Amino acid sequence: MIEAASLADPHVSSAPGDALLDDYPVPASGYDEMCAAPGVLRPHWRDLARFLGETGGEELERRHTEVQRLLQADGVTYNSYGDPHGAPWRWRVDPVPLLMTGEEWSVLAAGMEQRSRLLNALLADLYDQRLALRQGWLPPELIYAYPGFLHPCHRALPAGSRWLIFHGIDLARGPDGAFRVYGDRAQSPSGAGYTLENRIILARALPMLYRDAPLRRLASFLETERATLAKLARHHPENPHMVLLTPGPNSPVYFEHAYLANYLSLSLVEGEDLVVRDGRVWLKTLGGLRPVDVILRRVADAYCDPLELRGDSLLGVPGLLQAARGGHVALANALGSGFIENPGLAAFLPPLCRQLLGEDLKLPSLPTWWCGHPGDRSYVLANLERLVIRSILPNQPHWDGSRLDAAARAQLADRIQAAPHLYVGQETLPLSTAPVLEDGQLTPRPVMLRGFTVADGDGYRAMPGGLARVSSGLDTLQAAMQQGGISKDWWVLAPTPQKHVSLLRQSYGPIFVTRDGSDLPSRVADNLYWLGRYSERLDGTARLLREAFGRLLEWEQDNTDERCLDDLLDALDIPVPPVAESPRARFFSLRQALLALIVDADHADGLRIILDGMLRTGRAVRNHLGDDSWRLLNRLQQQIQEPPEGLGARQARELLEEDLMLIAGFCGLNNETMPHHQGWLFLDIGRYLERVLRTLDLFHLAFITARNPGVPLWEVVLTITDNLTAYRRRYRSALHPTAIIDLLLFDEDNPRSVGYQLRRLQRNIGRLQQPDHSPYRSAEERLILEALATLQLADIAALATLSQDSTRSSTELSRLLEAVEKPLLGLSDALTHSHFSHAEVPRQLIAMRP
Amino acid sequence: MRYTITHRTLYQYSSGVALCHNEARLLPRETPWQLCRPSQTRIKPRPALSVERRDFFGNRILYFAIQDVHWRLEVTVATEVRVLDERPFDESSLSPPWEHACQMLREDPDPEIIEARLFGLDSPFVVVRPTFRDYAEPSFPPGRPLLEAVADLNQRIYREFKYDPHFTTVATPLDEVLRERRGVCQDFAHLAIACLRALGLAARYVSGYLETLPPPGQPRLVGADASHAWLAVYVPGAGWAEFDPTNNCMPKEKHVTLAWGRDYGDVAPLRGVMTGGGSHSLKVAVDVEPSPEPVKLKPS
Repeated sequence: MIEAASLADPHVSSAPGDALLDDYPVPASGYDEMCAAPGVLRPHWRDLARFLGETGGEELERRHTEVQRLLQADGVTYNSYGDPHGAPWRWRVDPVPLLMTGEEWSVLAAGMEQRSRLLNALLADLYDQRLALRQGWLPPELIYAYPGFLHPCHRALPAGSRWLIFHGIDLARGPDGAFRVYGDRAQSPSGAGYTLENRIILARALPMLYRDAPLRRLASFLETERATLAKLARHHPENPHMVLLTPGPNSPVYFEHAYLANYLSLSLVEGEDLVVRDGRVWLKTLGGLRPVDVILRRVADAYCDPLELRGDSLLGVPGLLQAARGGHVALANALGSGFIENPGLAAFLPPLCRQLLGEDLKLPSLPTWWCGHPGDRSYVLANLERLVIRSILPNQPHWDGSRLDAAARAQLADRIQAAPHLYVGQETLPLSTAPVLEDGQLTPRPVMLRGFTVADGDGYRAMPGGLARVSSGLDTLQAAMQQGGISKDWWVLAPTPQKHVSLLRQSYGPIFVTRDGSDLPSRVADNLYWLGRYSERLDGTARLLREAFGRLLEWEQDNTDERCLDDLLDALDIPVPPVAESPRARFFSLRQALLALIVDADHADGLRIILDGMLRTGRAVRNHLGDDSWRLLNRLQQQIQEPPEGLGARQARELLEEDLMLIAGFCGLNNETMPHHQGWLFLDIGRYLERVLRTLDLFHLAFITARNPGVPLWEVVLTITDNLTAYRRRYRSALHPTAIIDLLLFDEDNPRSVGYQLRRLQRNIGRLQQPDHSPYRSAEERLILEALATLQLADIAALATLSQDSTRSSTELSRLLEAVEKPLLGLSDALTHSHFSHAEVPRQLIAMRP
Repeated sequence: MRYTITHRTLYQYSSGVALCHNEARLLPRETPWQLCRPSQTRIKPRPALSVERRDFFGNRILYFAIQDVHWRLEVTVATEVRVLDERPFDESSLSPPWEHACQMLREDPDPEIIEARLFGLDSPFVVVRPTFRDYAEPSFPPGRPLLEAVADLNQRIYREFKYDPHFTTVATPLDEVLRERRGVCQDFAHLAIACLRALGLAARYVSGYLETLPPPGQPRLVGADASHAWLAVYVPGAGWAEFDPTNNCMPKEKHVTLAWGRDYGDVAPLRGVMTGGGSHSLKVAVDVEPSPEPVKLKPS
């Protein structure tokens, strides 16, 4: 393989190369990014080609696997809506980057920057003077029939404000080597976060390639993003409070929202975390309301304010548009800027650019015809078989004319005729191809690019690079990723090697030290509390199951006493199978009942449902957990959500053993890494409340309602609480109920005892910040005090005769357990009321849906 | 004519409302034939914030927020208006053949005509279907002057539809109104708009009030009046001509204009989003009182 520019005739090939590159089947027609012709390398690919050749296909595949492992460990996902279990698609990255020379990029970047200026000028005009409409530069149907034009946003920005701050541009190169724009993104121009994560992961998996690569780094672009956002703030310019508004963990790109919030030091918030009062936007935190100056918006604008925009939206903040109108909060992008995603605009941009900017359009769009114009309509109808037809309405399919038969084309023509202004025709051009690693071989695949610009000074600045993805050319980013598309790292080459810098390790301006965590959004506290409860519930259920399988296996092998299994089933809340004809039949029915809790995705008390709760709450607090905790959670998900086929009892026990280690690791890491501030307190309170309730249940089962009371069951209780060894060491005797009760109920130094758990709850609840700063004990403080005092004042002597089957002792114990449990059952509601109750959802006075 | 319009809305909630944001379109807009004195607005409890502005259609909007817990919300707006008898169009006005009007609307580059094309498109409450065109067609033979044809459509709706306040709600689809031949002023206005848009014309929804006369020999009842709605059709190059299908007439001095838009959704008198409140009850009382004394009004 030889590089094109090193020869007098650039299209002459020769030179023995290596298999990987020599076997690269350059397509006969079209534009290939790497090769100008079969065997003729483009010069800027030289170094990379050498590296790929030296590394070889096999080693590259190994690295590729490593890349996928790292991505999965980091939890990089692209969720799909509509999947009942919300299983996220795994993000896939090809290890071979896409290269572009600095010269070519500067031309492209100038075109992208101009496009952003143009579309911003268009927004400023359409939401105010409407010259473009009145002068006939844009037809009214294209503006008003497009749902992205939001008339409540008319004059909604203070004069001189910018509408478009972040702009995503979908691009592809045609057979002639020229770039064309396929679409504009302004609602939620996703991809910058994935781009960054791709780069970081690839640099980890291919350090020798990335360490000194002469490529333009991305960090300074993100620095500009952050600086631009900060400059939008009207209040607190020195330290503005900025948030990223996300639709929540169900959004397909939630991973990116959490990632960017972290990277840019923004609070990650959902609509219900915010409230408008006194014409300003506030974040509801544990410490009260905190003013918000800037919102990085990742919720589609129509959903942002149920008062003035879509009244059925639950994602928005009532009064937000009015607050923006007053200038007290800045949104990026401004509400209403989704208009520029209108696919029909492409047909009008060249003259618009001359009118609005006095410049010629530098970067052309894919040739587009708007059917509302009679001439264009005739052209589209006459050329249906070679065009792609798109509706300008959202969530509509598109039609590739070349794939339709005559009847379907006639049907499509009727559709267009019925409402021509809603349709555009677009030319289809073969996309350029780039090498993608498949089975150890490089294969040419069509690629699309998503570039980004950000407002900077009076103009815009383009990201040097972006997201490349292997594509059919028709799909959007969302479609491509939901179909399991592959992304690539897009390199812009620099003349010299560039240092790899991360924004995460830098600070912005003066640091305002804060430590108490009272600025934690109430919703986050709520989710942390439930994350704690679910993780403990998962642990408790897995422990019971492990013990049950253990007993089942012992009984099968050694014919030991298996009667305590019935009590274990009670503890797991599953019905005890009817008396079986044979031990064999009993074994199978017991095994099946237990396995259901592992395998069934819908079993209400099963591991998978509990884990769903843990993942749901975990995702909602994604950026409050450490990276390692997150990796463990991902491992846990893989392990529990994908149980092996034909699971047996022994294998199940081993699986549970691993689950327990992962859960312990997760909880331990949270203890070790999360600062023990307000957020952690809620997590811990959730965990210990769940644990104490479960321990009380276990006691009740073992000593009050047991079907088969006695030593085997008491042993089970000690094993489940992991206290058998502690018991033996301390008492060196056979099992005795009084001693067990002492160890697991009263011993306040034993983390598995009720006494310890109540003390811990009391301490942490006492450290919670009370929203109203009242000097009196809060409801939750009173409840935990009642539970602890009841336990501490218990008459231990009255319980001493438990082993003699004394009714008095067991009644006494039952009464005690109930008295301790009762205040605890009210604790959850009390916490919700005191700390999470801001979460009430606003609703419309009158339903305004037509 | 001179009137004092009093529009009172009362919401009562079963549990406290902690916070509410509202938009009222209760301040009448000025037009060449309607002069307004400053409105007296009373909102109880007192809003923490209230701001007036103009919306996209030029209507006057009062935004207000109440930030203290409340169990009832009362909004009363009283405005003195003077409605002139002269309007740009009346029953004898000349107009171009309706097809010619459609063509001008499509092709004329005059900015005002271009702006009017917004009102030829579907809107949330008015989605055009072929049935509306079919219904309109008998009134629109080829070459008939636009206003004559619309007056005929107006009269047909008046004659063929039954006024039935118990049949429809805000959410009754227009198809059903057409099928069942009954509805209220809002439905009739929407229907006429749908018919005109189906033919390629531009029409807008007008909300307002109408003086109602007591039965002979009985006194006027205060608060017995109601909000009213009618429509306006665009005569390209000449302006908007109003029609009231509920009363088979062209609005004159008895029709007081409040606001206009593409359909009811753009002019709803009071909308709001609240936190809390449980269930609620609503009372609306409208009073259109002819002013005995001539009110001194200055055109703005």
